[in-house]
Amino acid sequence: MQVLTSIGSQLVDLCSALLLLTCFAIVAQRRLSACVDLFALQSAFLVVTAALVAYLTGNQHIYIAAALTGVIKVLIIPRVLKKVIDHLNVKRELVMHVNVPTGLLICGGLVMLAFFIAQPILPLGPLLTRDSLAIALAIVLIGLFTMIARQKAVSQLVGFLVLENGLFLGATAATYGMPLVVELGVFFDVLIATLIAGIYTNRLQDAFDSVDTDRLTVLKE
Amino acid sequence: MLNLLWLLLGGYVAGILLPLCLQGRPESQRLTSSVAAIVATSAGVALGLFGLTSLEPVTGSLASTIPQLTLAIRLDSLAAFFVFTISLVGLAASIYAIGYLRHFEGQTSITALGSLFNAYLLCMTFVVLANNGFFFLLAWELMSLLSYFLVVTQHQKAEVRYAGLFYVIMTHIGTAFIVVAFLVFFQSAGSFSFEAFRHPGHPLSEGMRTLVFLMTLIGFGTKAGIVPLHVWLPYAHPVAPSHVSAVMSGVMIKTAIYGLIRVYFDFFGGQFPWWWGFTVLFLGATSALLGVMYALMEHDLKRLLAFHSVENIGIILLGIGAGMIFQSYGLKELAALGLLAGLYHTINHALFKALLFLGAGSLLYATQTRNMEEYGGLLRRMPWTGFFFLIGAVSIAALPPTNGFVSEWLVFQTLFLSFQIPTVFLKLMLPIAAAILALTGVLALACFAKAFGIAFLAQPRSTHARHAEEVPVPMRMGMGILATLCVALGIAPMVVPLLDRVIASLAGISIASKVLAIDGWALAPVNVEFSSLSTPVLALLLVVSAILGWGLAVALGGRLTTRRSKSWGCGITLTPRMEYTATGFVQPIKRVFSTIYQPTVKLETEFLAESRYFAKRRHFEFHIEPIFEKYLYDPLVAFFGTMADRLKVIQGGNLHLYLTYIFVTLIALLLLAV
Repeated sequence: MQVLTSIGSQLVDLCSALLLLTCFAIVAQRRLSACVDLFALQSAFLVVTAALVAYLTGNQHIYIAAALTGVIKVLIIPRVLKKVIDHLNVKRELVMHVNVPTGLLICGGLVMLAFFIAQPILPLGPLLTRDSLAIALAIVLIGLFTMIARQKAVSQLVGFLVLENGLFLGATAATYGMPLVVELGVFFDVLIATLIAGIYTNRLQDAFDSVDTDRLTVLKE
Repeated sequence: MLNLLWLLLGGYVAGILLPLCLQGRPESQRLTSSVAAIVATSAGVALGLFGLTSLEPVTGSLASTIPQLTLAIRLDSLAAFFVFTISLVGLAASIYAIGYLRHFEGQTSITALGSLFNAYLLCMTFVVLANNGFFFLLAWELMSLLSYFLVVTQHQKAEVRYAGLFYVIMTHIGTAFIVVAFLVFFQSAGSFSFEAFRHPGHPLSEGMRTLVFLMTLIGFGTKAGIVPLHVWLPYAHPVAPSHVSAVMSGVMIKTAIYGLIRVYFDFFGGQFPWWWGFTVLFLGATSALLGVMYALMEHDLKRLLAFHSVENIGIILLGIGAGMIFQSYGLKELAALGLLAGLYHTINHALFKALLFLGAGSLLYATQTRNMEEYGGLLRRMPWTGFFFLIGAVSIAALPPTNGFVSEWLVFQTLFLSFQIPTVFLKLMLPIAAAILALTGVLALACFAKAFGIAFLAQPRSTHARHAEEVPVPMRMGMGILATLCVALGIAPMVVPLLDRVIASLAGISIASKVLAIDGWALAPVNVEFSSLSTPVLALLLVVSAILGWGLAVALGGRLTTRRSKSWGCGITLTPRMEYTATGFVQPIKRVFSTIYQPTVKLETEFLAESRYFAKRRHFEFHIEPIFEKYLYDPLVAFFGTMADRLKVIQGGNLHLYLTYIFVTLIALLLLAV
């Protein structure tokens, strides 16, 4: 049992690390459709992590959450985003607020920050997912940073979804998942948010012939 | 009891769903929604009576998945009384709606109107039934929102949208205060259940109790419409469909009275310092007087009625406030009397105010206008409406033999009995409140002499009024029920033992045997020697003296001959332009109270070019200063406007900037936590 837990803990850590790695890939990637693919990959890692935790702890409801993640974040949302991208005239992020090398450095800093912040609470967490909490925090911060660094609405949306993945990982790591009702609610929210943002991006494209959210400045009173 | 509750629920739910299923058939939507509401409200009336007569409170609860929220209900006598009142007024309004909704066909969605009305009544019923703070707030907020949607039924008009916005903002501010009060309770009780609120784990400190008092007074006061929080009533009541106004003004504002009694007498168990009662009394007196004074100056019939709601809430609070003062001095019997007067006036006001709003709706239905200056001569054209409106007017002016008289008499007696209080200050203050109430009564009489006289007597002042016709039968029925009840409660004070049940559970003392003195037909304020009143004898006296007067006229006045000729008019043909106008009627009162009204009068005369002796046209304008809006609300709004302008600096308009704000805040907070 001890061995199994220790191996399981290693596996969970590995998967979490892969999640973090895809984050960096997303930050470095300029092509929009590739960003979406990377997000799908990240979600797939998330499914594996959640399933591992479910298997090792025997919490049945995490399986449901994992399955939902698979359906919504690996299949539906990437498909919706691809459709949106098809509609756009620009397929890649040309100008960024923060260029890629700087962005990667900042993200490295954020990971360090996350570990630093999580340090005092890590020993208190469950043995199995101890390090995942810090990683989850790092993913949340990187997701938020992506939203700031990018100009195109689609990549901001990807940033938001990454952030949400981080939250999900955090919830799984810290407490072995939230109550199922809450999780269902969150999934529904994310799905709706993506749909709305997708429609909004298309309208943005039609109105300004661009999806730079910088252009929204003119809406200010 | 459970069957009744299911019938009530089923009726309302059917009333909500059926109109949605019958899209595109306004005729059947109108009928189904009203009939469902009639079934549900009838069940509610029975449920209320059941609750009032049963000795033990009935409770039931349903757990929910949301933490702290239990769908718990408790039908004690206080709740039963309010369920009864709500359902009774709801019943009359639903019958009325069968005819009245026709007015809206083609103008607005009958689906929305029918469904929302049912949902609104349902939520209101649950407000008084709720036995869990969270559930109460949920029902309360739903009730407010649904009434907002009903107010903006005719949202095509800018005036209606403004009124709705005003209302929804005010009611939300009120709810915020109530939430604070309930959170204070929650903190000490550890649970949202009303049971825990009554007996908290560790009692509230003195400061916290005061906070709860102020918060509930402001929060519920906003809904009740006490001065200076009354400003939304004259906007929202007039623009809502009339059967909705009847329910809003008749019973929705009473849910606030329910809330106040529930908190002060139930949660606090009647333990409070004297100044709480005095504050309530003071606000009551102010509301009563200012409400009626502003009502007098209104020429929009429904706005006039809305101001009268402010007045009557004031009268109810006078009774309850006096009761609270007596309670804090341990004068249990008098405290019970004050509550009795307040609750009696609550049901009476619900009845006659609903009646008057339905009457105003009938006038609107027949003439398409709310402006009284365009009515006139309607008594001959709409005799039923006129008769019912007269009963309502007599009732609100507190004249015998109607219910308004009885309850105001009880309030008076309560205030007069203040000589038993040991403090000189209060001994002085309560009679002053009685004097203010007397002034209020007189002004209300003047106001309804104006309303009835201008609207129904003399000659029609407009084409609309000339072509007015009597309203359909269901509308007359709705008004008829309320009018009958107004007279019945005025002659037979038989509700006193039922009200006593409510009070016995709150004040812990039963006074029915003392108030319903002698033979069960006469009322006495606790002490028969002090004063007593027999309403049936009074009514009989009125009838007898009327017959006597007529008899004397016949006996001494010679033969009655009918002479048909033109009215005496100095040889000129009488025209509507010679009639007393509503503005003219109240001119003397406006002069007397000009300090309060601060009127601005503008008279412009255009003369003929040839001679200054001949006026071509006169233009007369007259406004009264809306003091509270000008000196209280406008500065507040301006203050918040300036603050918002200052904050605009950080609103760069750039999405990334906002995200950065969030990001930086998050990091800062995280670092702070470490």
